[in-house]
Amino acid sequence: MDATPKTEGLRLARLMMVLSGLSPLFVLWAIRGSKILSDRYLWLLCAVMVIVPNLFLWLRILIVKKKQLNNEVVVGKAEDHRDHLLVYLFATLLPFYSIDTASWRDLAALMTAVVFVVFLFWYLNLHYLNILFAIRGYRVFTIAPPQAENPFSGRTSLVLITPRVYLAEGERIIAYRLSNTLFFEAKPCQASSTLELQK
Amino acid sequence: MPGQFDLGTTEVTEFGVGIDAVDGPRYVQVPVDDEVQAVLRQMVAATRSAMKEAGDASRYQPSEKHAAHENLNLPLDDALASTVRAIHEAQNLPNEPKALKEPKNVFCYFARLSAGKGNHLTALRRASSFKGILESQLLSFLDDSLRIVNDEVFRLDEDFDFLIDAAGVHILRPAGFESIGQLRDEIMKAAPTNIKAIQADIAFVDFGSIETYALKHPRAARYLASIRLQQTKNVAKTSLKKHCTNMKLDVKEVKGKLVVAPEAIMDFLAVLDRRLYQVELVKDSPESFFATGRSKVVKP
Repeated sequence: MDATPKTEGLRLARLMMVLSGLSPLFVLWAIRGSKILSDRYLWLLCAVMVIVPNLFLWLRILIVKKKQLNNEVVVGKAEDHRDHLLVYLFATLLPFYSIDTASWRDLAALMTAVVFVVFLFWYLNLHYLNILFAIRGYRVFTIAPPQAENPFSGRTSLVLITPRVYLAEGERIIAYRLSNTLFFEAKPCQASSTLELQK
Repeated sequence: MPGQFDLGTTEVTEFGVGIDAVDGPRYVQVPVDDEVQAVLRQMVAATRSAMKEAGDASRYQPSEKHAAHENLNLPLDDALASTVRAIHEAQNLPNEPKALKEPKNVFCYFARLSAGKGNHLTALRRASSFKGILESQLLSFLDDSLRIVNDEVFRLDEDFDFLIDAAGVHILRPAGFESIGQLRDEIMKAAPTNIKAIQADIAFVDFGSIETYALKHPRAARYLASIRLQQTKNVAKTSLKKHCTNMKLDVKEVKGKLVVAPEAIMDFLAVLDRRLYQVELVKDSPESFFATGRSKVVKP
């Protein structure tokens, strides 16, 4: 008999998505500079922290599209979570940006605080908080499972990143699976795009 | 009546497994890549071909002794299909990529093909050979020599046990359908309802002792489920009584009702299910037969 607690899975992918969400912070640090780290090393560090997670996220989206790793998601109650981006902005970007790293101890404290935030975002499955999605015109919805008596239906809320502005109850959406609870609905291809031509 | 699912319209192919959990069976999705998805669609097509080869479609009857391969169907709203209907209609099944880490808990696997707007097909198969291969030693070629395969390998079958779509349940292997659909439980649960429905049509039979018996004996409950599919309206009391006498069943008439002795209950149910009958080809030498499988002959 199976009695093991279920985990979210895709730990590395979720970690990379959290770090990708923190990309703007590393961009700000690179612009601001540090009193104890030379620009060369700071820019290298920040570039790695921006490029690697975003490359990983881009590759993940590319792989799920190529391998057709998609699911049909049925919308129960949907909530638009654009306001979470504001929380993210005020909870992480602004406080961390304003900390002055005048000594190695300041820098160590700052990095430790960032690690705590990354862990919390990862642990609480907030890996969908990514300003890049908003810049590309996507919205983030939390989807509660449909109210049904079916004993086999999923009971976990899902997060859907979608170009849609509204989700109706009962709507069925075909979306790519980024993690066990995070789904991504790509924008429809333009008629002139390569993907459309391949169909 | 809605038509069968058109494989050509498939937009999404999902794969999953049924797991024996502490609080009952659970169904979870396991992500599979496009190559596995293509194989699953081929398996659905192979199931349909195998069903065609098995003969004309007939309705599934729980009391019938079925062959290994059949072409049976059952309406989706039938009480016997309630478990498989719940599997078919389940939404947002949880994703558990590590569900196959404990293969001994996996009792079936399934594919779900969706064409959007709720139009989908679910195909299920018992996981006997799927996980059975784990217990064998596999060999593969490395250069020009064989070596043991240390990876966990799962084997997909050639077809599914049964398919479910808007048109109903289409059964290739009745044993697989009965196992996954928890038919034994469903039939036992439905026994009181079936008794009531039959009693309404055949009011001159005392079903009290039959009900008590059927609640403890799955075979009797299976007969009741099958009798409901037979024509029970307008059963003539004299014909039934005469048939029971001919078959030497202990059935007495008390206050206008036929009362069946406990030892004759199974045979009496077999009579109602058109399984116990007599043929008199030699004059004054009637022969009695019991049919484990039968199909109604309809002549134009």
